Amino acid sequence: MDKTPEQINQDLLRPLYHASWRFYAAAAILSALVLAAFYAWGYQIYNGIGVSGLDRPVFWGFYITNFVFWIGISHAGTLISAILRVSNATWRRPVTRCAEAITVFALSIGAMFPLVHLGRPWLFFWLIPYPSERGIWPQFRSPLLWDFFAINTYLIGSTTFLLLPSFPDFALIRDRASGWRKKVYGIVSLGWRGTPKQWHRLEMAMRIMAVAIIPVAVSVHTIVSWDFAMAPVPGWHSTIFGPYFVAGAIFSGIAALIIAMALLRKLLHLEEYLQPIHFENLGKLLLVMSLLWFYFVFAERLTTWYGNFPSEMAVFWVTQSGRYSKLFWTMVFCNFIIPAPILAIKNLRTKIGWTVVASIPIVVGMWLERFLIIVPALSHKYLPYTYGTYKPTWVEITITVGTFAGMGLLFLLFSRVFPIISIWELKLGGQKKPEAAPALASQEVAAEP
Amino acid sequence: MKAIYGLYPDPESAQRALNLLERAGSDLGFKDRDIAVLSGEPYEEYGFGQRDHKTRMPWLAALGGVVGGLSGWWFVSFAQKSYPMISGGMQLVTKWPDGIITYELTMLGAILTTLFTLLITARIPDWSGRKLYDPAISNGKILIGVTNPPEMAREELEKRLRAAGAEVVKNFGN
Amino acid sequence: MVIDEDRCTGCEACVAACHAENNIATVGDDQAARGRAMHWIRVERYYEGDFPNIKVKYRPVPCQQCSDAPCEPVCPTYASYHNPEGLNAQIYNRCIGTRYCANACPYLVRFFNFFNPVWDKPLDLQFNPDVSVRSVGIMEKCTFCIQRIKAAEIKAQAEKRPLKDGEFNPACVQSCPAEAMVFGDLNDPESKVSRLSRSNRGSTLLSELGTHPKVTYLKRDTWHNGQNA
Repeated sequence: MDKTPEQINQDLLRPLYHASWRFYAAAAILSALVLAAFYAWGYQIYNGIGVSGLDRPVFWGFYITNFVFWIGISHAGTLISAILRVSNATWRRPVTRCAEAITVFALSIGAMFPLVHLGRPWLFFWLIPYPSERGIWPQFRSPLLWDFFAINTYLIGSTTFLLLPSFPDFALIRDRASGWRKKVYGIVSLGWRGTPKQWHRLEMAMRIMAVAIIPVAVSVHTIVSWDFAMAPVPGWHSTIFGPYFVAGAIFSGIAALIIAMALLRKLLHLEEYLQPIHFENLGKLLLVMSLLWFYFVFAERLTTWYGNFPSEMAVFWVTQSGRYSKLFWTMVFCNFIIPAPILAIKNLRTKIGWTVVASIPIVVGMWLERFLIIVPALSHKYLPYTYGTYKPTWVEITITVGTFAGMGLLFLLFSRVFPIISIWELKLGGQKKPEAAPALASQEVAAEP
Repeated sequence: MKAIYGLYPDPESAQRALNLLERAGSDLGFKDRDIAVLSGEPYEEYGFGQRDHKTRMPWLAALGGVVGGLSGWWFVSFAQKSYPMISGGMQLVTKWPDGIITYELTMLGAILTTLFTLLITARIPDWSGRKLYDPAISNGKILIGVTNPPEMAREELEKRLRAAGAEVVKNFGN
Repeated sequence: MVIDEDRCTGCEACVAACHAENNIATVGDDQAARGRAMHWIRVERYYEGDFPNIKVKYRPVPCQQCSDAPCEPVCPTYASYHNPEGLNAQIYNRCIGTRYCANACPYLVRFFNFFNPVWDKPLDLQFNPDVSVRSVGIMEKCTFCIQRIKAAEIKAQAEKRPLKDGEFNPACVQSCPAEAMVFGDLNDPESKVSRLSRSNRGSTLLSELGTHPKVTYLKRDTWHNGQNA
């Protein structure tokens, strides 16, 4: 890229200063949807969780589906960004900030769902291990406590991961802005100056964080999968769940990242920064994850079918040819049959439009996957007498729609206060390399008259 | 804090200026640590970008991880013993599930230690605004200068900073 | 507890007695149709054969009071816990309603209060003062009528004597007209329930899951099946 630092500054900081009427219209619509979701939640708290479609035996439904889905989306970010940093892939530079932001927002949204789904959400703090007057500690054997620790660690880690490389960019804004922006960015930039020491410590910290955040991300989704795998429910109690969920999470995360990047590229006019090569490279990763996902599904289905345990076969057939089969085959279409050929063909993969066409069904398909893991298994547990069904009500649907709107809204606002591409890292990519060993100072001085 | 500094348009001239200052320190009466370098992006490939590169951050992070893990293990065992309740036929201190929490707190310890090590060693946050700074570095300029220079050496320093290729030479804090 | 499937007639007197004894909410038609009815003990009906040659099998299912209960370790707040006498107790005050225990329970004998409890008139006039009423968002389940166990224990303690076998019974056992259920102390090898649980006809529900239930089912005798075959 042959842009001067000044041009890069102007291009990438423009969204912070100028917003079209489209921004306000979109923000208004999304805010309305988010408010509707909060209304639905309030309605549910006031009237009782029974206003949702949950019943016996399907005690977990849309809420936990959304929980797993959003936690999965959150793996877009930090994990991809961290892997690309660790492997020193230079094409990552315009992608990382966006990916890290997806992580923080998706994780915050996902972490809300365990609260939304509680029967008595006002007592959620009993999950927190603190010395209470009740003289009782939480149950550390419960996967929900593991969730609590894993998600909080990941949230702290990924927020740090997002914020650390933002300080120099905040300092940049501080230097160029006037008025309230100068004040606010002066505070959030923490007085960053850009000494070699600061730069070196920052890069060192990012390297350590990248190495640390990968195992955390893997553990988070493994533990989310263990919420299911630890319970002796047919279709859940399986050792494959950990890696299966992690792969699915990265899969849906990359898809979400591609969609978000394509939108930002169009809306913020970043065509010169987010180039087809970035989408192609992410598309290749997405293809790998799609194949991996199919492999996991096949392995899981085949072992279940071959083992032929009656209780597991009930769940198996209800997804293959029974009540949930339409959803199941839609999922296979969305996650494999549509995206895999698109991403495998070079002529399509190199076009941004096509990578988005491949990504949108994946997001749908991965949501369905989580639904199909939770609901058919719960509705077909061991005793046929207890079989049941599940049908969501407007409350769950509103809250679900509201979270997607919330994601959009958070991203919209984010793009107005953060440079959506890490400016200093981008500049670093175009930096001039030293041509030779620096000349000796004595010669330089001597040359002067 | 007082300082005299030059702003350089490219890393080569900044490197020239730094080399020059490093040699001139003993003559003009300032120390190596008085030399200030500020830039809008890291220049790891150049000598001036490699100053102050000694750090124990990775070891501290590892130590933080060990401390986090040990305290996690201790805390969970303590909690399980202080409210002794058997459930699901498992033992009182369940080592395998406790390992998960130990693991998470190990990572949390490492992450937080890294964060705090960064904040402390990079001397941030610092909102005082009294430290040497010039907003021009945000436009790609590189600042090389001397903090608290001896008054007598000012003119000589200014000359040399210009000689290395400074676009402007400025005084800070007067 | 021992339940003799050979004796059960499927009359559901146990279900009614349980509702009355334990202040279980009647959720109403709509909610019941959505599968939210709460019956701490239920009588499962299984049909064998084609109409009109149908044989109906009944199986009353209360909480199996597993020794290694899957519901207990998954509860993050110790609401589901193992009491010193070996029962799976549910402490309502601790429950925050994650509903994880109900998912983990293979027998599906845990019931969730989706709303605050309501009772059809005149059922609201016959509450049992010994049993707390559960609010919205809380899991509840069969307790083996722990209030009766405690009352009998206190009485025996006051009279300075050990509990006698069959001195008291949970509501379901007491109300069973066919005497299909027997309740007692499994730790006492001489009690009636211990002897019956060692019967050749005895088995536990979903024993392959390793939950070690404390409810033993006595299967129908072979002579009975032979006669109808």
